[in-house]
Amino acid sequence: MTGPADPVQPVEPVEPVKGRARLRSALHPRATRAQVVAALLCGVLGFAAAVQVRSTQDAGLSGLRQTDLVRILDDVSERSARLQAEARELEETRDRVTGDDDQAALQEARDRTRVLGILAGTLPARGPGIRLTITDPEGEVGSDVLIDALQELRDAGAEAVEVSSVDGPAVRVVASTSFVDAGGPGSGAGVEVDGTVLRPPYRFVVIGEPGTLASALEIPGGVLEVLDQRGAQGVVTQEQSVEITSLRAAASPRYARPAGAAGDADNG
Amino acid sequence: MIALLGLVLGVVAGLFLEPTVPTWMQPYLPIAVVAALDAVFGGLRALLDGIFDDRVFVVSFVANVLVAALIVYLGDQLGVGAQLSTGVVVVLGIRIFSNAASIRRHLFSA
Repeated sequence: MTGPADPVQPVEPVEPVKGRARLRSALHPRATRAQVVAALLCGVLGFAAAVQVRSTQDAGLSGLRQTDLVRILDDVSERSARLQAEARELEETRDRVTGDDDQAALQEARDRTRVLGILAGTLPARGPGIRLTITDPEGEVGSDVLIDALQELRDAGAEAVEVSSVDGPAVRVVASTSFVDAGGPGSGAGVEVDGTVLRPPYRFVVIGEPGTLASALEIPGGVLEVLDQRGAQGVVTQEQSVEITSLRAAASPRYARPAGAAGDADNG
Repeated sequence: MIALLGLVLGVVAGLFLEPTVPTWMQPYLPIAVVAALDAVFGGLRALLDGIFDDRVFVVSFVANVLVAALIVYLGDQLGVGAQLSTGVVVVLGIRIFSNAASIRRHLFSA
């Protein structure tokens, strides 16, 4: 590269030329064979590099190896199976909702509203059930006994519950209902249920399968036995139709909002 | 100068012609590019050493590319293609670095 007329460089160890000078001389455009060949190969390199960069950016699957492809295929087929199941589910829901006519959807929403209203205590309820009357002459029945009784009734499938003083105020029992001993535990001052003070005798009105509810209270070690031990008395009467009329105002939550499709219960 | 021009022309051609890489070439092209890069750095070093020879350059360029592709091909046949590709890239990378160091010594005396 030092001699313009001499394309093949002789090595010159005796007379060291500085690298920069060599570079400078090489940068002079000269149509020597060395220059042309180097340009050609550099062109090939640049071309190949650019093509490779492009195809890498395309990020196609064609450049991947067999094992990677198998893994990707597995992922994709698993995902597609999941999505297909989801699509099927959604199609079924759509067919159910829009299938016949709007009446079906409306009916379903109304049914749900009724069911939820009974659960939430916003609707009066009627049906077969029991009355449990608890007389407590010694003031020994506190909130703990009432809660036990309520839990026992719920376990036995109680669908709607009202607790009241006999001839006194009545309170609809819902999921958030609280029982507090009025005037402190053991004072005999009655029980405060959701802020309403109830005095004995107490009465539970429960809607559910009467036989199941009654036997749940009568089991050995159950509610009635505990009442006996405390000098109180529980009387269960099974009835074909009891009515619960006390209501509870529907509280709209301050913070919680329905997430997703769960919110369409109040459309009816 | 002409070499630089050739490089730029090649890059531009690659970018604008948008050729698709043939399927059989896809595993080898990246390795071939790295091998060619090694040859170019070696050529630049030889130029600065004053021992540049275009024949040697061509031979080393082509041989580098072919050997690299051959190793990858062999690795693919043996089932260790990915590992062998990594090995080739590492070796070529080391060579590129040592060539770059010697070029740097020539240009900056450091």
